[in-house]
Amino acid sequence: MRVAAIRSDSLPRSPGEGQGGGVLAIILLISLCWPLQGTAATVIASKVFTESVILAEAGVQLLQTEGQPAEHRKELGGTRILWSALLRGDIDCYPEYTGTLRVEIFASQTLQDDQQLLAALAAQHVWASRPLGFNNTYVLGMRREQAQRLGIDRLSQLAQHPELRFGFSNEFLQRQDGWPGLRDRYRLPQTDIRGLDHDLAYRGVASDAIDVTDLYSTDAEIAHYDLVALADDAKFFPAYDALFVCRDSVAPAVRDSLNRLANTIDASRMSKMNARVKLEKQPEASVASDFLREAFSVHATQTTDTRWSRIAKHTREHLAMVAISLIAAILVATPLGALAFYRPGFGRVAFLIADVLQTLPALALLVFLIPWLGIGYAPAIVALFLYSLLPILRNTHAGLAEIPRTLRESAAALGLSAAARIRLIELPLAARSILAGIRTAAVINVGTATLGALVGAGGYGQPILTGIRLDDLGLILEGAIPAALLALVAQAGFAAIERRWVVAK
Amino acid sequence: MIAFENVSHAYINNDQALVNDDKATVAALVDVSLRVEVGECVAVIGPSGCGKSTLLRLAAGLIAPDRGRILINDLELRPDTLMQARQRIGYVIQSGGLFPHLNALDNVALAARYRKREPKWIEARIAELAELVQLPVATLSRYPKDLSGGQRQRVSLMRALMLDPDVLLLDEPLGALDPMVRHGLQEELRSLFARVHKSVLLVTHDMAEAAFFSRHIVLMRSGRIVQQGAYEDLALAPTDAFVSEFVRAQRLPPPAVRGRE
Repeated sequence: MRVAAIRSDSLPRSPGEGQGGGVLAIILLISLCWPLQGTAATVIASKVFTESVILAEAGVQLLQTEGQPAEHRKELGGTRILWSALLRGDIDCYPEYTGTLRVEIFASQTLQDDQQLLAALAAQHVWASRPLGFNNTYVLGMRREQAQRLGIDRLSQLAQHPELRFGFSNEFLQRQDGWPGLRDRYRLPQTDIRGLDHDLAYRGVASDAIDVTDLYSTDAEIAHYDLVALADDAKFFPAYDALFVCRDSVAPAVRDSLNRLANTIDASRMSKMNARVKLEKQPEASVASDFLREAFSVHATQTTDTRWSRIAKHTREHLAMVAISLIAAILVATPLGALAFYRPGFGRVAFLIADVLQTLPALALLVFLIPWLGIGYAPAIVALFLYSLLPILRNTHAGLAEIPRTLRESAAALGLSAAARIRLIELPLAARSILAGIRTAAVINVGTATLGALVGAGGYGQPILTGIRLDDLGLILEGAIPAALLALVAQAGFAAIERRWVVAK
Repeated sequence: MIAFENVSHAYINNDQALVNDDKATVAALVDVSLRVEVGECVAVIGPSGCGKSTLLRLAAGLIAPDRGRILINDLELRPDTLMQARQRIGYVIQSGGLFPHLNALDNVALAARYRKREPKWIEARIAELAELVQLPVATLSRYPKDLSGGQRQRVSLMRALMLDPDVLLLDEPLGALDPMVRHGLQEELRSLFARVHKSVLLVTHDMAEAAFFSRHIVLMRSGRIVQQGAYEDLALAPTDAFVSEFVRAQRLPPPAVRGRE
């Protein structure tokens, strides 16, 4: 019967009209002004794998020893994220591979040689350093002892040994630039070919179950299992030469420094460094500084944080993400939820949008936001903000909808204006439900914010990410336990607020 | 004074209508005219769905008439006069309609505070009303859920009287109370009506209660007034079969035996 109510009075205006936009602007301002790169330091980033972290660390330490301020933004994510961040200027440099640039970044152009690649990069205002000296591509590996016994050090020599047993990763068996192409190019006669998992391949070779397998040329395990990588003498595999790519606005001194690294790291050196980190669990920073000492006789200072200072830093980052996104979501979603209730037409649209946002995978959303917002807090906070909208919106709507008609009418009959009824009666009556929505959003946010590490926002996701990469359970727990505790604290905190301030009906 | 002048109102059939877009309407009131003078208590009675509650909600401005007009002391209820008119209206419903998140005192004081009355005035007025409805002041610090049914209705009445309205609209105010409490409150309410000198429009389904409060009973059926007058008129001179049937169904002793209240 509500629809028959006297119009001008009973249809309240939105309590938050004109408020949402301003709030959003403030949030964006805060997140953009956040000290991402407060100083003029050269920001060198790395991808989420060990080799990239070591190379970036070496670059940063080299710059620092030469008196140039530099910082390392570790484990930002994959190629797409770093490339976008580089183009936007969120980062200045990162280590990359020529093959990756060709295949992933410039896939639509067929770049014949490195000259064309450099030209394509220049067109995007990206400068590339000279290659560092190794080519991280597919290689075939054998036990050193067996290779020496048979006198094999090149792929072309394999054709003379049809008795060798081959075990390849399943991907390598399928790819045209893998086994089928390789077989044709070198006319390999072997027939004993098995498909197996990449990680098992090393053990297979080491335990003499197979003789030859596909590897990445700088895999840590090559040195660990004492394998030799056979030279690709017919140049079959595409080149994945490592180098640094930088914005072409970086100082000439930075370019000079990074070019000093040219041809200083060969595949075996890189693979030894990878092994020290992955297999011997040494920090990337000390592996990088050892390298610089050997190669340039410079003593780089490496800062290593204690576990507790790391946890404190990640807690600050995590709380910042969760708190800012949650407050913004409360300020936006509560008025919107009320508006959705009072204007059902608007409500249907609002819920549709919120539902769709909720179904977007977090990682996809983050990557999607990077071209607009760059890396760091901004995309993480905006993503968390979007995820918080639906629970708060829904619960605000539900809380208002469950207020009995008699109470609404009693408030109206007392002569309260529509705005006063919402403020004094309806929102307080819906408070329990709204608070439950905020609590849900907060707990979801604490969990989802661990993905912030993928876009450079840090937080508890950082040690989790590193822990997964290094297969280090301690590091994983260093992020997972505080995240779980924070979720419990949020849960308990809101329960306390509810008991203290929301009166039972 | 409350006046209904040729008021008609149709409402959408079910509460689901908002969802279903089902615009099936039902006539709740058809061409009703009625006056409640100052100092008078008019009791509206009739079977469920006869339109008596609709009448009250129209008078409170909660719904608007489709045709005709409603006057509160010569002020016609219109969207633009509604806020003004509501200062003159006190509205009490069966469940009390108290806000559960406010204690009794805050419920009573809400409208006065909203209208920025002096705290001292509010305090004095509440003390006065507590005495009028015979409620211990200490009870006012309780929340509605901690009050008895009778206390709730007293608080609700205080809230309705807070700004000294000219008109009291009571929708089954005693309907949810047990018989003993109800009996006591009826006595109190009647003497209160006599003292406050307001226009009272009372909806009830109980003929004894209607007769107890009012010499002017309005019997409704299907959105129309069937007959109005004192209980004796309805009992002894029914204008049609429905009236006599309705009176008989209430199983009251005949007026002559029961005597005049």
